[in-house]
Amino acid sequence: MTAESDFGTVAAMRGVQERRDGAVRLAMLLGGTVFVLMMLLGLVMRLAQGGLVEIDAALFYRIMTAHGAGMVGTATLTGATILWFFTNRHVPLLAGVFWAFLGLFLLGVVFILAAIFVGGYGGAWTFLYPLPAMSGGFWQPSAAALFLLGYVSIGVGFLLLHLEVARKLIAAYGGIGGALAWPLAFGRGRPEDAPPAGVVAAMASTIFNVLGIVVGAAVLVASIVNLLVPGFTVDALLAKNMIYFFGHVFINAAIYMGVIAVYEIIPEYTGRPWKTTRAFAIAWTVIMLFTLSVYPHHLMQDLAMPAWTLVMGQLVSYFSGIPLIAVTAFSLLVYIRGADMRWDLASALLVLGVAGWSVGTVPAIIDGMIVVNKVMHNTQWVPGHFHTYLLLGEVAMAFGFMAWLTRAPAAQERPGAARLTGADRLLFLTYAVGGTGFVLVFLVAGALSVPRRWAVHATQWMPLAQAASVFAALVILAVTVFVLRYLSGLIRQRS
Amino acid sequence: MMALRFSLAGALLGAAFLARGVLEADPLTHILVQLPMLAVAGALLPVPAGWERARCNAGGWAALLTAIFTIAYWMLPRTIDATLVVPWVEAAKFIALPLGVGFALRLGWARAHPLLRGFLKAQALAMLGVLAFLYTHAPVRLCTAYLMEEQARLGLGFLIVAGGLAVLWVAPLFAVCAPAPRADRAGGRVPAFDP
Repeated sequence: MTAESDFGTVAAMRGVQERRDGAVRLAMLLGGTVFVLMMLLGLVMRLAQGGLVEIDAALFYRIMTAHGAGMVGTATLTGATILWFFTNRHVPLLAGVFWAFLGLFLLGVVFILAAIFVGGYGGAWTFLYPLPAMSGGFWQPSAAALFLLGYVSIGVGFLLLHLEVARKLIAAYGGIGGALAWPLAFGRGRPEDAPPAGVVAAMASTIFNVLGIVVGAAVLVASIVNLLVPGFTVDALLAKNMIYFFGHVFINAAIYMGVIAVYEIIPEYTGRPWKTTRAFAIAWTVIMLFTLSVYPHHLMQDLAMPAWTLVMGQLVSYFSGIPLIAVTAFSLLVYIRGADMRWDLASALLVLGVAGWSVGTVPAIIDGMIVVNKVMHNTQWVPGHFHTYLLLGEVAMAFGFMAWLTRAPAAQERPGAARLTGADRLLFLTYAVGGTGFVLVFLVAGALSVPRRWAVHATQWMPLAQAASVFAALVILAVTVFVLRYLSGLIRQRS
Repeated sequence: MMALRFSLAGALLGAAFLARGVLEADPLTHILVQLPMLAVAGALLPVPAGWERARCNAGGWAALLTAIFTIAYWMLPRTIDATLVVPWVEAAKFIALPLGVGFALRLGWARAHPLLRGFLKAQALAMLGVLAFLYTHAPVRLCTAYLMEEQARLGLGFLIVAGGLAVLWVAPLFAVCAPAPRADRAGGRVPAFDP
C-alpha cells in the first residue's frame, strides 16, 4: 500500500473517530479557557509595571507564579492533547488513560491554585531550590509543598499518557527505532514504509518528556522532603540542573507535540501527505538529542558549573534551530508553495505557529551565547524570546487545532472548501498583530536592559509596559473570540 | 521443575542467611544485595494451582499493593536498624521479603496491565533517584547502625542501580522487530508492547 493510499484510508476513518473524542474536545476547551485567564493575569502584571494599576508586590509574585505555571501547564496540556488525538489516528489508544491524565492534571491545578491564592506561594513556576523553603514569611512550607505536590500530580498524568502512547507506537512500528524511522534515517528503509511524520514526532516527544518527568519527579520529592525536614538539604547546583533539565524539556515538549497538528492537518489543505523523508527522520532524532542536552544554556550565570557544560549548552543552542527550520519550516513553505492552498482560520493559525516558533529561536539562540547571556539573562529579553515561540508558536498551533476541530461541515467534507472569511481574517490579524507587538516590546525592553520579574518599574520603563498592555489586550480580545467560536462550534456539532 | 524452583529459592535464602554477618556489615550489601536476594528467592517459589487466576487478585492489584506496602515498610531506616538488634525483626525480614515482595510481585506482575507495569518501572526509577538524593545529602545518619560515609556510598549505589535498571528496561525497546502490518494498525488490531 502506498503512502498516498494509506493517507486516504486513514482519512476515511477520521470522521467516526473524531466524533468519539469528547475528552480531547473538553481538554482543548479547558486549555483555551485557561489560556484566556492566564493572559488576563499577564495583562494585570504589565498594567502594574506600567503604573496603570497598583497591586501589592507580594500579590504580583503570586500572579507571576500562577501565570508561569498556568501557561506552561496549559501549553503542555494542549500539546499533549494534540499528540494524543493524532497518535490515535494511527494506533488505537486506551481512552481511559486520557481521562486519567485529564483528572490528574485538574487535581494538580487545584493544588497549585490553592497553594498560590490560599497559601500565598509566590516562588515562581521554576520552584528553584531552596526558594520554596525561604519565603521570608510570605508563605508557609505547607503552601510550597502543596504547589510541588500539584506538579507531581500533573507529572504522573503525563507519565501515564506517554506510557500508553509509547507502548502502542513501539508495538506498531517495530520498536523505538522503528517509530523514529531509523531504518530510513540510518539504514536501507524506504520512505513508503516509514511511519507518518506525526508518529515520528510523537515518539521523539514521548521519549524526552518521559526522561524529563522522571528527573523532575526526583527533584520535586527531594524539595518536598526539604520543606518538611529543613535539615535535609540538597546540593543546590545539582537541584538546579535537574530542575532546568525537567523545565526545559517539559516546555519544549509542549511545542514539539503541538507541531504534530501541523504535520497532520496541513496535508488536508494541500492535498498531499507530509512525508517522512530521510532528512525528516534524521532531524527528529537530532531534535531529541538536542532537547536533552541543551538545558545548560539556562545555567550560564552559575560559575560553579563545569565550563564544558556551558560550552555544550551554547553550541547545542546554535545548532538546535537547524533541524527545526530546515525540516518543519522549510518543508511547510515547500508544501504550501506547491499546492492550491486554501486558507481558513485553522490553517492560518497553524502556519503562524510554525513561523512564530521559527522566529522565536533567533532571540533564544542569541541569549544562549555565554557573552550575551551575562548581560541579558535577567532582562526582559528572556520573556521576549519565550513569549515569541509560545504565544506566536505553540498557542497559535493549539488555537489552530481548535479551529480545525470545529471547522464548518463543508470544510470537514472537503478541505478545499475552507475559506478565511472577513471576520476570521480580522480575528487572525488582531491576534497576529497583538502577539507580535507584545513580544517585540519585551525584546526591545530587554535590549534596553529593563529587568524581568520586577513588580515595580522605574518611570522611564513604564511606557514600554503600557504599550505591551495595549498589545496584550488585543491578544486577549482575539483569544476570547477563539474560545467562544470553539464553544459555539462544539454546540453546533452536538446538535 | 517445582523441585528446582524450591531448591533455588532455598539456596538463595540459605546464602542470604549464612552470609548475613558479612552482608549486613555494610548498608550497601545489606540493602542492595541481601534484600534483593530474599525477594528473588520468593519470586522463584512455585505458585500453587489456581492462585494465578484468583479473583481476589484481579489485575494483579492485591498482590502488587502487598508488595508495594511491604517494600515501603522495609525501606524505613529504623526497620533496617531493628533487623540488626532485634532477632524477631530479623526473622520477619527473612519471611516478609520473600513472601511479601518477591512472591507477591510474581503473582501481581503477570496479571498487571502493561500500562501499570510501565508506570511502576518509571516510578521505581524516580524513587531510586530520590533515595540517592536522600542518602547522599542527609545531614544526619538515617540508620544509627551505619556511618555517614557508608550511607553516602549507599546513596551512590541507589543511583547506579537506577541507571542500570533504566538501561536494562529501555534497551529492549530499541530492538529492531517487525512493525505491525499497516492494515492492523489502522484497524486497531495492534497488540500493545508489554513493558
